[in-house]
Amino acid sequence: MGKVFDWLDYRFGLKKPHARFLQRRVPSDLGYTYCFGGMAFAYFLMLASSGLLLSLYYVPSEKEAFRSIVMITNEVRMGWLIRGLHKWSASLFIISIIFHTMRVFVSKAYRPPRDLNWMIGAMTFVLVMFSGFTGYLLPWDQKAYWATEVGTAMATNVPFIGVDIMNAFRGGPEVSGATIVRFYSLHILYLPLSISALLWAHFHMVKRQGISRNL
Amino acid sequence: MTRRAFLIGIIKSFSALVVAVVLAALWYVYPSVSKKRRLQYVFAIDEDELPRRGVRKVEFKYAVDDNEVLNRAFLVVGESGLVIFSPVCTHLGCYVNWDNNRKEFLCPCHGGRYDISGRVIAGPPPKPLNRLPVKIESGKVYIGVTV
Repeated sequence: MGKVFDWLDYRFGLKKPHARFLQRRVPSDLGYTYCFGGMAFAYFLMLASSGLLLSLYYVPSEKEAFRSIVMITNEVRMGWLIRGLHKWSASLFIISIIFHTMRVFVSKAYRPPRDLNWMIGAMTFVLVMFSGFTGYLLPWDQKAYWATEVGTAMATNVPFIGVDIMNAFRGGPEVSGATIVRFYSLHILYLPLSISALLWAHFHMVKRQGISRNL
Repeated sequence: MTRRAFLIGIIKSFSALVVAVVLAALWYVYPSVSKKRRLQYVFAIDEDELPRRGVRKVEFKYAVDDNEVLNRAFLVVGESGLVIFSPVCTHLGCYVNWDNNRKEFLCPCHGGRYDISGRVIAGPPPKPLNRLPVKIESGKVYIGVTV
């Protein structure tokens, strides 16, 4: 590897403990359908970095949320690009996960000992859907408002405590500025951290168990 | 083309794309100038409220982007007529006060002192007090502020 990497490796010792991972043999008969998991992770990284940039300008408040989105899109240099990356990565992230899940299902990679990894993946998918839902409110336009109005109202179908669940999500009986703050916090703090932890477990098991053989 | 050369080509073009996006991100982070500042004259007091000689402090309100701003200034009437001083000390931006006994502007923060024409007498201020543009129209005194 390059000089810079060797300098770092001599001091930090990166290569040796990761040799099993970096130099492992990948089965030669894997097709392109095995790429969807990696693609999903690439979209996750793009979402994280573009999201970090968006949080520099976005203001999560009732009065300024929409205005700050308009500012990011029209006034901030390259704002349209960063916002576009975030928006499109989000959609492609979920599409990649669905294809990844289909591939795992078809190749029967959910059987023991990989059953736990399937469960972790399913939990990640739920959290990703929540990320999409909470992120959808943040532009604070008509579409976002009514989508959240309808989406949070679905919680009322839960028996006995449905209304309480809805109020907890909304931060009050109505979708308001309190809802933006809640959704923003979930979207940029709770959900990404939880997803990162789950992905760590996901990748750990892939490394340990290897890739399931084709059918 | 060999598979190895093809993959290296892919990695190189992908790296170029990443570098381009990182440059765009740096540009994105750097703040853009939000608006052009312009001079606006704001009503301060009536002309007949001006002192014959000496210093008077005024407070005046105006709107900047729908937000009300309270500002203040010193009106000084001397031999050369009316002069308006900004009360902001040129050292680190504290508000100076007029001391009528010593006939000096005193800055409470680091002891900067200015005479009645705004010149620095003592202390750390690097420049005399800033003068603000003034306009008298039909008996009313207007002060120029940048908004």
